[in-house]
Amino acid sequence: MKSESEDQQTDGADDRKRKRRSRWGGEESKVNIPGLPTAITANMSKEQLDTYLLHMRLEEIGRKLRTGDYVPPERERSASPEPIYDIQGKRVNTREYRYRKKLEDERHRLIEEAVKRNPDFKPPADYKRPTKVQD
Amino acid sequence: PANNGEMQPTRILQLLNMVTPEELIDDDEYAGMFINDFYVSYDRNHKNIPKNISFLLILDIFDDVHEECSKYGKIVDMKIPRPTQTGLMAGIGKIFVRYERIEETGVALRALAGRKFAERTVLTSYIDEDRYLADDF
Repeated sequence: MKSESEDQQTDGADDRKRKRRSRWGGEESKVNIPGLPTAITANMSKEQLDTYLLHMRLEEIGRKLRTGDYVPPERERSASPEPIYDIQGKRVNTREYRYRKKLEDERHRLIEEAVKRNPDFKPPADYKRPTKVQD
Repeated sequence: PANNGEMQPTRILQLLNMVTPEELIDDDEYAGMFINDFYVSYDRNHKNIPKNISFLLILDIFDDVHEECSKYGKIVDMKIPRPTQTGLMAGIGKIFVRYERIEETGVALRALAGRKFAERTVLTSYIDEDRYLADDF
């Protein structure tokens, strides 16, 4: 990073420098799921690869939701929004709720895409289709 | 010529499951800047970085990927496709890195497969150079 022009940079650029921290997990974070290779060297069409990717991500989201592993470590978190309270004064948009909802929303989109690609696609057993679309 | 159903190695590393469409979408005036060039030749000494969350986030992602991938060889260029009106899925979540030599790409492919990027599991593959150049992701 250059430093001589730092004082002319915007606040946005300063924020960016302050929080510079790589998104890469270390070597020890490597996962190995039997039957789901991560280095893909088999000949696949673009469609096959995208479908594989879709299923891999669904598997990953499913695992996170099942094990409750959906709040990212502090360095990965974005700024918390203003709290929203319910009628009993209990906070509605807790960190757990927000990150869980984010994954559920992504899973919903991916399942819709998977069904579009293959009408016989069976969603995961613990998946409940949202009854209405909100926000 | 298929060799036992294996893909022909190329100079282009395809990184999958890296980003969500939300991270790459923004609908303000700066959007045009990156729809056209996908950051193919992102200038590290960018002056006047706009105060724009998506823009900064993508620069950030670019830096993270560039920095890590440099460890495995000399990078020629990179592409981070962004969602367009047509086909939200096309290329999304994928990041492409072109190395100078096929061997470098192979080392990176094996080293980065299964690593985490922003809590997502990275998948790696090759893509034909022609397709990379034609933005056919």
